[in-house]
Parts: sequence; C-alpha cells; structure tokens
Amino acid sequence: MIRVLLVEDDRDLRGTLRDALALEGYEVSTAASLSEGLALWTHARPAPDLVLLDLGLPDGDGETLLATLRRRDATPVLVISARQADGQKIRLLDAGADDYLVKPFSIAELLARLRVALRHRGTATLPAQTRYEAGGLVVDLAAHRVSLGGDTVHLTPTEFKLLARLVRSAGQVVTHRQLLSDVWGDEFTEHTHYLRLYMGQLRAKLEADPADPQLLLTEPGVGYRLLD
Amino acid sequence: MSRFPHSLWAPPGHRAASWRRRLAGGAAAFALWALAFGGAVALDHHVDLANQAMLFVTASVLASIWLGAPVSFAFALMCMLSLNWGFVPPRGSFTVDLERHAVLLGAMLLVSWLIVGLVWRLRAQAAAARDAACWAARLQVVGEALRDSADPSAQAQPIAEALAALGGRPAALMLLHDELPPADLAEMALWHGEVSDDERAGLWLCLRQSQPFGPGTGRHGEQPAWYLPLRSRGASHGAALVRLANPESANDADRARAQALCDLLGLSLQRAALARQTEAARELAQTQGVRNALLASISHDYRTPLAVILGAASSLQTQGERLSVVQRERLAQQIVDEVEQLSRMTDNTLQLARLDAPGVALRLDWESAEEIVGTALAHARRRDPQRRLHGRLEPNLPLLRCDALLLSQLLDNLVDNALKYSEGPVELVARLQAPGEASGWPQVVMSVRDRGVGIAPAERRRVFEVFQRGDAAPTTRGAGVGLAVCRAIARAHGGELKLRARAHGGSSFELWLPVVPVPAHEGSRA
Repeated sequence: MIRVLLVEDDRDLRGTLRDALALEGYEVSTAASLSEGLALWTHARPAPDLVLLDLGLPDGDGETLLATLRRRDATPVLVISARQADGQKIRLLDAGADDYLVKPFSIAELLARLRVALRHRGTATLPAQTRYEAGGLVVDLAAHRVSLGGDTVHLTPTEFKLLARLVRSAGQVVTHRQLLSDVWGDEFTEHTHYLRLYMGQLRAKLEADPADPQLLLTEPGVGYRLLD
Repeated sequence: MSRFPHSLWAPPGHRAASWRRRLAGGAAAFALWALAFGGAVALDHHVDLANQAMLFVTASVLASIWLGAPVSFAFALMCMLSLNWGFVPPRGSFTVDLERHAVLLGAMLLVSWLIVGLVWRLRAQAAAARDAACWAARLQVVGEALRDSADPSAQAQPIAEALAALGGRPAALMLLHDELPPADLAEMALWHGEVSDDERAGLWLCLRQSQPFGPGTGRHGEQPAWYLPLRSRGASHGAALVRLANPESANDADRARAQALCDLLGLSLQRAALARQTEAARELAQTQGVRNALLASISHDYRTPLAVILGAASSLQTQGERLSVVQRERLAQQIVDEVEQLSRMTDNTLQLARLDAPGVALRLDWESAEEIVGTALAHARRRDPQRRLHGRLEPNLPLLRCDALLLSQLLDNLVDNALKYSEGPVELVARLQAPGEASGWPQVVMSVRDRGVGIAPAERRRVFEVFQRGDAAPTTRGAGVGLAVCRAIARAHGGELKLRARAHGGSSFELWLPVVPVPAHEGSRA
C-alpha cells in the first residue's frame, strides 16, 4: 500500500483529500502544521512514499520541510499552492519539489499528478526513463533517436538535450531554471530567452500546430511539461 | 529665474555710489562755480551785487542736483564766500563794510541752503520711490518663481540670498515638511544654511509662536538677528534667520521687506501643502471608488454562482437517495462549473486589487507570443467543446518582456468573454505592428475577435470600467471585473487594451504591447 503524508492546515480540505485518497487505496497520514508534518515524517516507519505539501501553513515555510526531506532521500513532494504564492512555488520546484497544484484543483487532477510523481519515484537511484512514446512521437534517449509518425526527426544537439531533459521528467513540470541549468549550464539560469527560442524550434519540428501544442506544454511563469 | 545678484537686493543707503560718479559730480560742480564766478566778473560794474548773487545761487542749486546733501550745503557756503571775497567791498577780503551787503549775503546763503535742502529731499523721495518700484518688481519675480514651482522649497536658495543681502550676513531658512510636529525634531523640517543650536531653538520658537523676534520687533531686541516666521493664512510653515551685520542700525523698512519675502514663501508652502492634501484626498477617493466597485462586483457576481452551488449541494445532501444517477451527476457538474467560474472571478478581482495598488511589481521575463497564445488555446479548450476558438500567429514574432501569468489571465478573460457573448467562430490572432503612426516603436498586437452583436459606440469606453456589462447581454453574468483587470494588466506592461468594432459585425479586443529588444544571444548556438 502506498503511504501519503498530507500536510494541509485547512480542516475541511484535509478531510476531503484524505477521504478521496483513501478511496483510491492510499494510506494517508495527515498533519495540520509544518512541525506536525516534520514530526510525522521523522517518526513514521515505514516512511511515507509521497508528501502532499500545502504552502500556506500557520507555523512556517514549506521550504524547511522540503530541505529536510531532500537531505534524506528523493521522496516525491507535491506542492499545493494558492495562486498568490507563485514565487514560493517556483522556489520549491527549483529546490526539488516534484510538481505543483494550484488551489482550487479537482480530485482527478490531484490523482493524475500523484500517479506521475509516484512513477518517477526513485529515478534518482534507478536507471532513468530512456524511452518516451506519445502522440506519434517516439524518443529513444539511449539510441539518441527521435521520430514522429515513423519519420526520423533531426534535432540539433541543444534541442535534443532540451527534449531529453523533459522526457526524463515526462508528465512533470520542469522549471525554467532547471532546464537552463541542466541543458546550458548553471551560469545560464537567467537566460530565459534561450529557452523560448529552442522550445519554439522544438515545437516547430514536433508539433502539428506549434501555436497549439499537444506535447510540449507550457506552464506559464513556471516551466514546461511534456505530455505524460 | 533662480538666483539674484546680491547687489540687486541691496536696500537704499546700502548701495554705495561709485567714486567715478562722485568725481564727475565734483568736476561738474567746480565747472558751475567757475561759470558763475566768470559770469559775475563779466557782469561786474554792469549789474548790481544782487544780480551777481543770483548767479551763485543758481550755480549752487544746479550743483545740488549732482552732489550729496552735505557737499551741496558746503558748495552753497563756498559760493556765498566767493561772492563776498570777489565782489563785496572791500574786495579781496571776507570783511563786509555795508550792513545791507551783510543782509544780502545772509539771505543768499539762507535761500541757497533752503533750495538745496528741498532738492535733496525731493531726490531722496524719488530714489525711495524708484527703490520701492524695483523691490516690488523683484518680489513679483520671486512670487512668480514660487507660483510656477511645484516645490516651493526649491526656491529657498534665492530667498535665502535675498535675506542675506538685506541683513548683510548669511541667512538661514527652516521649512516644515508638512504639519507642525509636536516636538522640535530637526528631521521634521528642511534646513537651508548652517545654524547653531541656539539659533535652531530660536527658529522653532519663532515658528511655534508665529511672531518675529530681534531688533526693532519689541521682542528679544538684544539678538544680533531677526527671526521671522514664514507666515500664511492662520499658520506658519517655517522660519527665517536673518543675521544682521549691524544690529544697531537695523531699520523697520528692511525688516518689513524681509518679512514680505518670508510671507511670500510661507504662502507658497501652504499652497503646496494644500495641493498635496488635495492629491492625497483624490487618491483616497479613487481607491475608495475601486474598492466600492469591487465590493459591488463581489456582491453581485458571486451571489449567482453561490446560489447555484448551494442549490445543487443541498439537493444532493437532502434528496441524494431519491435522485437518479444522471440527476446527481448533473448537480455535481453544476457545482464544479460554478466553482471554476468563482475561482476565475476571484483571480480577476484579486489581480485587479493588486494591480491597482501603488508600486506593484510584475514578474517580468522573456516570453514567446506563441506560448502565450498556446496557453490561452489550451485553457479555453475545456470551455469550448465545439472548437469555435482558433489561433493564428504571424511567424517569427519577437519575444515579449512580460509577466506570462498575467498575460495568460488577460487572454483567458478575453477569450472567455468572446465565447460567452457571441456565437460562431472566435479568433485569437497575434501579429507584429511596425512602428508608424500609432507609436514610434514596434508592437505586438494580440487580438481576440468575435462575430457577436458587437458593442454600442456609447458602451465602448465604459466597457473597461469595473462592473460594466453590455446591455446586449443582460442575462449573462460574470464579466464584472474581467475587462477592467485586462486593461490594468495591459497598462502595467506599458501597453494598452483597445476595443475595435469589426467591419462586418462583432468586436475585436486588442492588446498592444511594446516590443523590447532581446539581449544579445551570445554564443551557445547549437
């Protein structure tokens, strides 16, 4: 059974989410504050498989909890944020949170994100995903091959690196900073315009209508997500 | 007009006549005397002594026009003595034989002195009138400079210079920032010129009592300076320290002038303070207006979705078992739909309030128009089952310097409105507008075009105001703050949101965004 730690201070939302997750077969432990979440995380044995972390907690910053978690292992963390908390949300994603949900969100959306995050669980230790297939696009990272509808697509080395980075996190949001840092290097994390240009080139090669992308999705102000 | 030469401000009496002018006056007087003496010699034995005396009287009167008063009196005396020496028997001496000659000489001197005295007084009056006119003209110049200046404290320097010219030593000014502070805190005032602690205390006292101190004022006459309040109607807005070079000879006329200057500054400071208060009141009223509109919008726009949600939820709660599966699903769907609507309205209302606050910071980044349009298309898909929305992009649009979340919100609102208020296709078009008549730099124009009933000309301006809705759609709900927040977002980006009626019916809402040059794409081309 998969164990989920839910840290959310609103009692009603906490109850609703707990019931909904339990109905889907997850084993849910809940915390109403950061300190409680931290205590549950430290003492729960076996440790939770996934953490759902609300940002608006009464006793402090979700970043503390994330930092503690990341010191131990790669347990997936899903951030739940209100719309005003954009800056904090992106900081947490950059610090290693796996994905985010903006309030209000539907249970269906939550479950989908949860499944993606759990699938990526342990990618830090296990061999990373090397093959991606969706909507006629096939990416074989090991063979360095990309094809669309059976035809080989030629990508420049940078385009390929960018696509490969998204494939490794397929279904999850990858922030601008993470992409720039992983594809171009740490000194390029502010050069968002590179990203825009190369993403435009990738879409021109891979999307039927680049203005209405179905695979390379934009998360405005946050990053990109490759269709799961 | 910001500086006055010191000499221009010097009061009468302080102004020193140049030695050159004195020399010229002396030479002219000597020439007059020589002329009178020569005339008297030429007329000797032809006319009597009284006529010769008249020549000397005329000379001394004429000379008094150029000479100062003491020299004129001496000149008249010299004329009388030269008549006595040259023409009154016995000649060649200052003795007088005949009694009538002595009377003549005495009368001559008296008349000369009398006329010289009168001329001198006349000259003094004329000089004073000239000086007063000059002073009035200068006050007018200062007054105009103060009137034209939004910040009167910027005029403190020329006024301090004028006061320094009046007192003969450097002057200092203390101007209040705002209202009179409860304590004498130096940081509550603007200081102009160096002041000692005692002088500072004197200035605060002068300000608090709104009374002048110093020589001639009847209060603290022992002080070597005048402390003058910067008065206006009912209050003082600062104080001036006019240090006096000669406190003993300080006169009331100079003090009156210094006070006039101070009052001019005081009135300007009061006017500026009033203008600031008016502006603050106006801003407050505007904020109140926006808040009232937001409250109206919330109370109106939120009630309907809340009613639907409560209806559906309570029906599920109390009748759940008796409802068919289809009915239950429909109620649940209603709740989901209305909550999404509420959520969008909440986002808009919060965003409008945020953008309305002063000093709002946008999260600007380089964004591609393609992605922003793509996001709007993706967001609209669920609300657009018939696929009425189509995107169209000009190729190679430049990157935009913008807040992607805000622009997404703007396009979502426009697309939402177009889908809601019109039937038929809706287009989302992005194109580049070359610099031209509209503006001096290129702009990216993103338009949302529909073929709906359009918006009446009278409504077109009002439609962007908070809580407006076209009459054409009286039963549709939810756009209360939508267009207002769109315009606020456009303007926060230095752009504009325009509404254009389309040629064959329908509306086009156009976002115009200035294009900012992208930093050089250094290397890394792969």
